[in-house]
Amino acid sequence: MDKRLRSILFSLIGVLVFFLLIVWIGGLINPNLQLDETGVLRFVFVGIGLLIVFVIYALTRTSPVWEVGTREVVYMAIGAALYAVLSFLFNGTVFAVPSVSQVALRPAIAIPMFFGYAFGPVVGFFSGAVGNMFGDALTGFGLSPQWSIGNGLVGFVAGLVHLFKDKKRSVDAVLIASALLAALATVIFFVNRNVPNMMFFDPEAGIFGDATISLFAGLSAVVGFVLVLLVRFLFGQNLDVVAAVTWSLLGNFLGIGFAAISDIWINGYPPAVAIVGEFLPAAGPNAIFAAILVPLLVVAFASVQRQTGR
Amino acid sequence: MLVTWRYRPRKSLIQSFDPRAWIIFFLCYIACTVLFWDLRYLLVLFAMALVAVFTSGIKWHEMRRAWLFIGGFILFFSFLTLLTGRGGIELYKEEHIIRRLTAGFTLLGWRPTLVLSAERIAYAVAMMVRVFSLASMTILIPYSLNPALYGVTFRGLGLPDKVAYGMDLTMRFIPSFGRDFQLTMDAQRARGYELEKISGGLFAQVRKLAPLIVPVTIHAIVASEDIIDAMDLRAFGVGPRTWVDELHYRPRDRALIAFGVGMLLVCIALSLWGFGKFWVPDFLLRLAQ
Repeated sequence: MDKRLRSILFSLIGVLVFFLLIVWIGGLINPNLQLDETGVLRFVFVGIGLLIVFVIYALTRTSPVWEVGTREVVYMAIGAALYAVLSFLFNGTVFAVPSVSQVALRPAIAIPMFFGYAFGPVVGFFSGAVGNMFGDALTGFGLSPQWSIGNGLVGFVAGLVHLFKDKKRSVDAVLIASALLAALATVIFFVNRNVPNMMFFDPEAGIFGDATISLFAGLSAVVGFVLVLLVRFLFGQNLDVVAAVTWSLLGNFLGIGFAAISDIWINGYPPAVAIVGEFLPAAGPNAIFAAILVPLLVVAFASVQRQTGR
Repeated sequence: MLVTWRYRPRKSLIQSFDPRAWIIFFLCYIACTVLFWDLRYLLVLFAMALVAVFTSGIKWHEMRRAWLFIGGFILFFSFLTLLTGRGGIELYKEEHIIRRLTAGFTLLGWRPTLVLSAERIAYAVAMMVRVFSLASMTILIPYSLNPALYGVTFRGLGLPDKVAYGMDLTMRFIPSFGRDFQLTMDAQRARGYELEKISGGLFAQVRKLAPLIVPVTIHAIVASEDIIDAMDLRAFGVGPRTWVDELHYRPRDRALIAFGVGMLLVCIALSLWGFGKFWVPDFLLRLAQ
């Protein structure tokens, strides 16, 4: 491992140790301290997310997908700016999804997915993370850095397809992994279907908003997966389209899953609430956007590439 | 053609500092704001944001659209929070109910009920003040930070050259793509496409968004070739980058950074000692009795 890699690794571990020390020292000062109340935990999960990215990079650093030249820098900026603008437009002007927290229908998620697939994991990660950060800032959503990292992971995972020599085999493996994740989330939905605290997290008072999420929202991850499966078989001859949607689907499940699961500790949600009340309303519609919008972008981009020769 | 934010040099508090110093202070301020839920602490931070706004030298007519959009958005979500208590249960375990309004009808077996409790009102107000504080400080940045200094500012904050330049370009592209999106929407409208009348199920709605998202994205990628060529011709990324403008910290910049970092440390210490947690004013509790 060269000096630069070591310094990045040590920096990330240093950040995590710093926050863990705050937990430890804070507990000594104030035994009743709940770390989630301090907001510090958000940054712990930022560190964990970055560490995940770094470990994958360190394990595959000889691959050319990690090279960042002029083209990648510009695409990073374009992806992030487009994601920010579209997030701003759709966060504010379309509608929020009934969920336990602030979740909006976000067709813009197709941007980091597409940029990750088309230009690699670095571009995908930057587009998702920085774009989400700017989009939230423009909308006035406040600060949710762990969700920015989660969005970054969506684009990052979509770009990992380029680490595999045989795209077709990778697609099948990714589909199986995605099927398992979608099934798991849906089973958790059905097991907790009658728990009336998935929308506004106020089960005791019997008041406005005290309801379960709808059946369609609960099944949306499976619906998204089925759509991707349809794309897999209908566009089987166009490997680019198939690979883009399947890897985007996995990126969506893992990235949004990371952010939702982090809220178990950050917001104190029970695991079922994090999965059913947050992950499904966000990741389910995202999967549908992946299945419909990403193929359109891939096809349009391929056409442009043919015309320009670049 | 790139469109820029409405930056212009102004005699203002923000612009009297090095942009790096202001960004560091801004980040410290944001971190402080998210540490607290006590309205009294949040009001102190909100007052600081107001000082920054009123000394920014930015005229109301310049920021009107941004304020109206963000203000409307925040008020809407705060009202929703007030109605539902959404998110508040993380902070309080019991509610002192001031008034309960029950609808005289049911929807699919569910009877809409509106509960106004002391905790719910306090939480909605705290949420509104908190988000307004964050938005007020954030909204000033594009109006006050010289676009020519984006790159050197991020580089000066310790980001690698390529990431700093990526951030620079991102901030420059945002208003341009906003304009492109508007132009595309107008062009599609001229062809009979009406975003406001999007109807049908979820799949139909998503499919109908394609005439907006695909052209803007593909146009951005195609147009970027000129930028890539220009950067390549200037040997971007070949060696360490130099910047036309140089930034130098002055004593006032160091003082601002020290103030921001000091404020953050104090806020972290207060938070660790249990100060600044959710607080309900006594008069609201009395109303519930």
